[in-house]
Amino acid sequence: MSLTDLMTMVKSNKGLQKRILSKLWNVHPDECFQCLRCTSGCTSLKLLELKPHEIMLLVNSGFIEELVSSDIIWTCASCLKCRERCPQKASPYDTIMALRNLAVEREAKVPETYMKMLAQILETGLMQQVQTVTSREMQPFNRETLGLPKIQYPDDKFKAVFMTVLGG
Amino acid sequence: MKVAVYWGCKIPTAQYGYEMSVRQVFPYFDIELVDLKGASCCGGPVRSINIPAAMYLSARNLALASQTGLDDLLVPCNECHFMLSEAKCRIGDDEEMHRKVEELLKEEGLQYPSKVKIWHVVDLLHDKVTIDAVKTNVKKPLKGLKFAVHPGCQIIRPSEIGRVDNAENPRKLDALVKALGAETVDYSEKLDCCGAALLNSHKDAALSLAGSKLKAVQACSVDGLVDTCPYCHIMYDAKQKEAADTVGGKLSLSVLYYTQLLGLALGIEKEKLGLHLNQSFNLENSKFK
Repeated sequence: MSLTDLMTMVKSNKGLQKRILSKLWNVHPDECFQCLRCTSGCTSLKLLELKPHEIMLLVNSGFIEELVSSDIIWTCASCLKCRERCPQKASPYDTIMALRNLAVEREAKVPETYMKMLAQILETGLMQQVQTVTSREMQPFNRETLGLPKIQYPDDKFKAVFMTVLGG
Repeated sequence: MKVAVYWGCKIPTAQYGYEMSVRQVFPYFDIELVDLKGASCCGGPVRSINIPAAMYLSARNLALASQTGLDDLLVPCNECHFMLSEAKCRIGDDEEMHRKVEELLKEEGLQYPSKVKIWHVVDLLHDKVTIDAVKTNVKKPLKGLKFAVHPGCQIIRPSEIGRVDNAENPRKLDALVKALGAETVDYSEKLDCCGAALLNSHKDAALSLAGSKLKAVQACSVDGLVDTCPYCHIMYDAKQKEAADTVGGKLSLSVLYYTQLLGLALGIEKEKLGLHLNQSFNLENSKFK
């Protein structure tokens, strides 16, 4: 029997819950006992209202769909404090990463910036293009004028392999 | 000794001051850096999209490092250091992931396992080079200067995968600054995150995190803030003015990479350390002669 949220009549989805767990390695969300150590030290609690223990509770109750389509999973600052401090090795950080992966698979709301970086990696191997920077005196500089060696980018073979990895 | 170096993305495409100063300082300690050929992103930003793809990217860079035949790999970016260390741990234990990665790498003629030891600037200097050797090489001691250090998040956590320093009480960067003759302060916001990971999606929150920490550091009456990560550095240096506008108040704090500070103490010229590229570093008003 699955849980039903009586306020919204949303049913829990055990299939999606399994999908999340299958993406994780060496962490155990189902062992979370709601001690709130994660939330009490969360970088994004105050400004973005991220409460990692609530995410864990929703995952463990099977309300995955709601999380995957919510902006809240994109507010994690990746500071890794929750992963470090969790006494149960439940790691909200890793759970949130798995939820983000599922959001991408289901083409839910994904911040544009992630897809832009991915496109850039496919193009050059690096997440951003090489930039011209300005000094405090507003003089432009680049790798060449700073005497830095040329970047040795990966070749097309890398791009082909990376494409297949992304394809599944 | 020769050490392979993996620069990641942020450093070689924009944070030139870090790259320049790292290249400048290590020869003083008889460490020759060998660049990897064809290195790609570490997988950090890809982790949110596709975890196995991120693992593949990290594994590929580790395989490139093995290909050099060297035993040690320097990874100066905190994010890359975390990703590569995490991938090394996981691929070492997770047989299915290991098999997957090996198969993919074969297509480029690369091989896993990778036995290389992963170092960051902080532990390579503190543990391998040693504090004593750093002290011996100091030509211009930074006497009378006081700094706050920002170790960043990803080189100290999570400790289960083996990190550079203690997760809750990191002291190595302090020790390295003190080795140059300067003082460091203890402040309660030391472990606070810079917010960089949120910069592109939640800009106000990111700037607010950076600004609050900078305000706290400035209140300690220090001569500057010392960091070791290109992401943190962007937040505290280039984004300092925006961060000040977000949290209200004025910020005027010199922010330097540790390797730039070390370079100054070694007697290297400022331009060679890329200090003219630091937006917050105020040469005119500062005591850095």
